[in-house]
Amino acid sequence: MTDDRHAAIPSQIRKALEALPAPALETLSGAWCWDVGAKRLHADGRFAQLCNLAPESAAAGVPTSSFFAAIHPDDVMRIKIAVAGVMHGSELFAKEYRVGEARTGYRWVSARGAAERDADQHVLRFSGVLTDITEQKRVQEQLRIAQTAGGVGTFGYTSGFGTVEVSDQFCRLLGLSPTDALPVRTVNGAVIQGGEIIETGRRELGGLEQAEFLIVRPDTGEHRWIARRGEVVRDDFSDGERMVGVIHDVTEFKRVEAELRRLTAALEDRVDARTRERDQVWNLSKDLLFVAGRNGKFRAINPAWEKVLGFSSEELVGAPVHALIHLDDLPAMHERMARAARGESIGEFECQVRSRDGAFRWFSWTTTPAGDAIHATGRDITARKALEDQLRQSQKMEAVGQLTGGLAHDFNNMLTGVLGGIDMVRRRLRDGRMQDVERFLEAASTSGQRAAALTHRLLAFSRRQSLHSAPVDVEALASSMADLLRRTLGEQIRLELEMTPQLPMALADANQLESAILNLAINARDAMPSGGVLTIRARALTLDDAELQRSDHATAGDYVEISVADTGGGISREVLGKVFDPFFTTKPIGQGTGLGLSMIYGFVQQSHGHVRVESHVGQGTIFRLYLPVHVGETQVAIDEAQPAPGGAGQSVLVIEDDASVRLLVVQVLEELGYRPLETTGSREALPLLQSDAPIDLLITDVGLPGLNGRQLAEIARERRPQLPVLFMTAYAEPALDQNQFLDEGMAIISKPFGIDQLAQRIALMFGR
Amino acid sequence: MTASVNLTELEHDALTELVNIGVSRAASSLRSMVGEQVLLSVPSVDVVTRMAAATLIRERESEELVAVRQDFEGAFSGRAMLIFPQANSLELVKAVTGDDLDACEVRAMEMEALAETGNVVLNGCLATMANLLRRPLTMSLPEVVRGDGKLFFEIENPPEDDAVVLFLYINFTISGRDIRGYIAMLMDLPSLRALKELVGEFIASVMATDDLGELG
Repeated sequence: MTDDRHAAIPSQIRKALEALPAPALETLSGAWCWDVGAKRLHADGRFAQLCNLAPESAAAGVPTSSFFAAIHPDDVMRIKIAVAGVMHGSELFAKEYRVGEARTGYRWVSARGAAERDADQHVLRFSGVLTDITEQKRVQEQLRIAQTAGGVGTFGYTSGFGTVEVSDQFCRLLGLSPTDALPVRTVNGAVIQGGEIIETGRRELGGLEQAEFLIVRPDTGEHRWIARRGEVVRDDFSDGERMVGVIHDVTEFKRVEAELRRLTAALEDRVDARTRERDQVWNLSKDLLFVAGRNGKFRAINPAWEKVLGFSSEELVGAPVHALIHLDDLPAMHERMARAARGESIGEFECQVRSRDGAFRWFSWTTTPAGDAIHATGRDITARKALEDQLRQSQKMEAVGQLTGGLAHDFNNMLTGVLGGIDMVRRRLRDGRMQDVERFLEAASTSGQRAAALTHRLLAFSRRQSLHSAPVDVEALASSMADLLRRTLGEQIRLELEMTPQLPMALADANQLESAILNLAINARDAMPSGGVLTIRARALTLDDAELQRSDHATAGDYVEISVADTGGGISREVLGKVFDPFFTTKPIGQGTGLGLSMIYGFVQQSHGHVRVESHVGQGTIFRLYLPVHVGETQVAIDEAQPAPGGAGQSVLVIEDDASVRLLVVQVLEELGYRPLETTGSREALPLLQSDAPIDLLITDVGLPGLNGRQLAEIARERRPQLPVLFMTAYAEPALDQNQFLDEGMAIISKPFGIDQLAQRIALMFGR
Repeated sequence: MTASVNLTELEHDALTELVNIGVSRAASSLRSMVGEQVLLSVPSVDVVTRMAAATLIRERESEELVAVRQDFEGAFSGRAMLIFPQANSLELVKAVTGDDLDACEVRAMEMEALAETGNVVLNGCLATMANLLRRPLTMSLPEVVRGDGKLFFEIENPPEDDAVVLFLYINFTISGRDIRGYIAMLMDLPSLRALKELVGEFIASVMATDDLGELG
């Protein structure tokens, strides 16, 4: 047997097997001869030695009782009976027992003897051989203990035999009565699953693979699992093959194994159930859920995406998340994604997400890092946003209403100036007194222009006016507002303007800037109920990245700072952090919208600028707006006082639904030498536009019933691609950004406009 | 597996020895019958129930069995059976009748040869035991039956006698042929108790003797 084969056999058995091959049998066996007639026992030296007899006297003959003298007290009775059996006729004496003495210890001997009889069957002599089998016994005992303790049964089967040699433990394991040999069929018959324990057909030498058998114990009917190991060796006696091996009971092991399997399966079931629950949340959620990699690309989206935005999983998985985000929200979104990729949790990030049909919806996102992925959930807040917008608009209108109250007085004054002036002119004309006419007309015109400026500001405030970032002379703008501001602030508050001379132009929407300053001034007024000083300063400065850290859009560079400072009560630290939040207000309900500062914030951000607020309780508050300096040439303002150049009979199509405006425009065109074609809307204009009639310029109102001015311009340019178009607008909501609204060769003029202003524009359209 | 009458270890040894004496006598008789070397030995004796006896036979023998059956009566009564596997019984018949018979003749003589062999073994065994125990015993004529343990030990319709089986393994060697078989003695409990008592007397007589040689 090689060592590796040993390894397959339990260690207890291996120990016993290793002990076995030692030559256990003493070559020197002792012999005895019991002379029945002479009543003497003769024995050789070895027998005498084993049985504590003096060798010389043993050879000479000792009393027959000497045979029993040295036998262990526990064995002596049965040996006496066995000898009695021989004396009575038993042919064979084959016993194992202990001899020696308690002092020196006992040894196991095997005695084999037979009786010699005369013709009458009387015993003449009883002789035999005594062999020391102590070692053999010891090994057998070890083997027995090993088998019993280890629960291991051994077997040996010689090929071709009908029986197999087995150990007692083998029989016990199979539930059979202990015996030395069992029919192969009895052994294999116990098996109900796993094939043959004793493989009768097995011939090839070598190790038997471990096999397991389910058996029914014949004694109890119990089902047990039995494992077998062993090997096939060459049989020295039969020249055939011999299968030797061991079996042991693995039922408990199998049971534990099965239990473990069951537990594992149960665990899997539970995990499955949890997964299903989780899947249900994933599948049923109305919120948009997605998993993205740290690279910002979709890994998985839930079905809500299809329902809410119309995108399927196939379309989005692998695509970058930012592809769906509104341009306005992209920078903020990139910043949030970068933070999420770093493992931060992002909460309540609001942005607009494009749906499949191109419309945008508002979502509030919360993300959690999970391993190398980002898990995000987005709640549709479009309805809330719309409501907020609505509310904001109504609040704005409320604010306009408040403003209007204050402004109505001025407006009435201006109207009085206009109407009164016209009245006076009419009287002078009736009386034929022409000398004062020009003075009154001048006064009426001035009042009208002031009124026009006021409505501009109101429109800007209500954000109904198109945005047009353009170079702004901040100093001039602030100075022009001084009158309005003084009226708004009241008599208890002193207004101071501190303008740095030679300020560079800022790039912003002038109307918005005016509105912002007005708002800040009103806030300052409210912060100083018992009076104070409001200071508006403007200066140029350079901001670096560190200073613009908290800005969304601004980059390091040159800025114009416009600051509005009051000497009021100041703003506490807690409140200071919220002042730009929409609807945040410290004013009593009904007195403030809480929108002014958020609008300013929005305007400044849109202008790629920055806003900052500093406040000290008891000392006052300073708001600082930073607007980028305009780089490039300053457009020379059109000098509207210059007389307008005249036309040369060019054909001008006028589309205007308002009769008085139409009358005025047509009149001006005729006076300037153009040939106006007068229409009231698309119904009249379309046939002309689609005909070959010569048209050199189109002047159209933007807000028309039916097709609007922009659409008519499109149609006009189908036949006349180079046709110049001048839009007139009282306000132009779709034209929020003029650069997008206008194509090449198009211009816009805001109502109200002076006749000279219109004439200048028309001349510009014709390239003069 | 043992029945309700428990033999002590020494009684067990003594009974085994008594049986050995019996089968030795039987072997001696067989020897003179076939003129060949016959060795008979009984390595162990069990006292078991009918059911256990049937199980023992069934576990050890998978083929059909042949039994020679004789009833006995005396100080202890019951039924004795010499049981062989079918294949071994033919070997035994051949051994007893000599190798010069052909298969056909062997089969023809089988029943008679088995009955005679069985009678010699069982009679030798039981009569010797009775003699040693100094009690008379009468035996019925031998009868050959084929079947299995269930049939021999009347498992299907057991008589209400609380019978136990004295179950002996027996090894035959006749003319160099190894034949294994069993001797089973069905006895009721009173008979077993009587036997136990007799065995006890035997032990006492052995122990009382200084020189065992005198027993011969």
